[in-house]
Amino acid sequence: MNQLIIDGVTKQFGALKVLQSCDLTVERGSVVTLLGPSGCGKTTLLRSIAGFVTPDAGRIRVKGQDISRLPPNRRDVGYVFQNYALFPHLTCRDNIAYGLVVRRVPKAEIARRVSQALDLIALAAFADRYPKQLSGGQQQRVAIARALVLEPQVLLLDEPFNALDAQLRLSMQVELRKLIDRVGITSIFVTHDQQEAMALSDRVAIMRGGRIEQIGSPLEIYDRPRSCFVADFIGRANLMPTQVRAGRTEGPQAIAAALPDGPATLVARPENIDLTPGSGPGWPGKVTFLTALGPVIEYEVDCGFSVPVRAALPRHAGVETFEPGALVTARIRDEAAAVVLPGEPNHA
Amino acid sequence: MLSRHSPEASAPLSPRGLSVARFLDGGGIWPAVPALVYLLVFMVAPIATLLTFGFVDIDRGTVGEGGFTLSHMVGVLSDPLVWRLTWRSFWIAVVSTSLTLIFAYPVAYAYGHLRGAARTLLLVAVMSPLLTSALVRTYAWIVILGGRRGLVNQTLLTLGLIERPLDILNTSTAVLIGMTQIHLPFMILPLLAVLSERDRSFEQASLNLGASQTVTFFRVTVPMSMPAIVAGFALVFAVSYTNFIVPQLLGGGNYSTIAVQVYEQTIVVLDWSRGAALATLLLSSCFVFVFAIVAAGNWLTRWSEVRR
Repeated sequence: MNQLIIDGVTKQFGALKVLQSCDLTVERGSVVTLLGPSGCGKTTLLRSIAGFVTPDAGRIRVKGQDISRLPPNRRDVGYVFQNYALFPHLTCRDNIAYGLVVRRVPKAEIARRVSQALDLIALAAFADRYPKQLSGGQQQRVAIARALVLEPQVLLLDEPFNALDAQLRLSMQVELRKLIDRVGITSIFVTHDQQEAMALSDRVAIMRGGRIEQIGSPLEIYDRPRSCFVADFIGRANLMPTQVRAGRTEGPQAIAAALPDGPATLVARPENIDLTPGSGPGWPGKVTFLTALGPVIEYEVDCGFSVPVRAALPRHAGVETFEPGALVTARIRDEAAAVVLPGEPNHA
Repeated sequence: MLSRHSPEASAPLSPRGLSVARFLDGGGIWPAVPALVYLLVFMVAPIATLLTFGFVDIDRGTVGEGGFTLSHMVGVLSDPLVWRLTWRSFWIAVVSTSLTLIFAYPVAYAYGHLRGAARTLLLVAVMSPLLTSALVRTYAWIVILGGRRGLVNQTLLTLGLIERPLDILNTSTAVLIGMTQIHLPFMILPLLAVLSERDRSFEQASLNLGASQTVTFFRVTVPMSMPAIVAGFALVFAVSYTNFIVPQLLGGGNYSTIAVQVYEQTIVVLDWSRGAALATLLLSSCFVFVFAIVAAGNWLTRWSEVRR
């Protein structure tokens, strides 16, 4: 069942088209991430769901009910702010109770639900502290509990990990996903961090220039990007110019492509590029730079394209290593995993 | 790991170099020394001198024979009129300060929602009364409130809303009106600084949690601006409590407060000792009240002081 349907939402600030007819359907209980570079409209879309932004056109439906014209305080959607926006003058407990208090829920029920929420985020011992007395991670959990205690239809989270340091970020991502699964709430994240999007979501919506470019599961998008932008934005990709002739690409490796004849782009992930010493079938090139990442070594190989080809080779015994300056041949390891897109390479 | 203190830094400097470096680096109280010296010489010393007049006999401008005496202080403290006037000063200051807060808050709040020219215009409007002296502004109120030909009465009479002029001037109402308006900028400015810079995400969070705009205002905006409210309240209370021009002029000479008494004893009656004793009472009671306001404020804003 669909919990949230966004239908043709459009928003313009002055001459700037922030959202251009965005459509998105979110299933009940699933986690969707809006991913894109800054200024792509992802936060505006999230804020229009919460009612902080009024779209110029389009509808937003939650459980079938059109909420586009409702004020933010009558929308029944939870929102976790980037800075958490915990009320500094209220304790942790009072912050969580706030929504219940303003709804005039009976005191005994407030106490019960708040202590339940505190248990859920494992912060019962910190209930009487002020937000300033909590760590960033604890503040994040309070902000989530404050939203969840009202049992909203949808939980919206605006870059919730931005305020945390890198170490904490990773463990909080896992914790948050577990919490969301335990509660079973439909959630929408906004992030510009593709790793975060991959780790958290069932589906990822890639946004660019106010439009949703592609929606799919993280692996679908990784494996089958539908544009150079998506290929480049999710993970790293080699975008190599080529020509399609009679359903196959021209060049050292002819790859099947269901495209009309004309210029095209061959997309291959660095881990799908193999390097062999000397010349052979493939793209001849020269190693210009290498980065030892640990599990893999990433090489930059100048094959005569405008950008170097990246190849990530694992560090098994028997896998040859190369020094800068070495003459090598680059090949696509698994041709089925390569993607051919129409048009010339377009680097984001 | 390297030591935080490199050998060069811990090498002893020449005494001269040390003090100059300290002064420039803002170490300790050194940078405040010029201001402290200035205040000691031109404020603390004169005030202390004036207050000592309350503890000696003064005869025609010179200190009398008797030396230290508590008689003036005892005379002031045992006078029921003095206590009545202290009480009146306190209440007029509390009421006027509260009115100032009520009028100032919406202005400061509105400022945060204005942009561009309207915003500049409002700031100029708030600041412009400070360009003229309080005395001039008080006289302006006499013109506005006074008699049959005063602005208020003439307008109301012309409009036919009243049949005979209202007696506003020379009443406590006039004192309240004047005092509230004259001290308004001192309340608006601290509120403006806090309210215009506030992070709107707190108010949006409140709306998102189901609170109406009104509930959000009273449960989030006002409590979060409490530090500024306390600062403005203490400031305006202090200047209202000790103001003698407004009660003197708008009260028409028959509305006395403790501050007016200080003025009259010193300038009119020329009893400097009694004036100084009254000033001692005025100053010390003002300190007590301001400390009470700040203490109450600290309790109300205890959340802003917490540390991890």
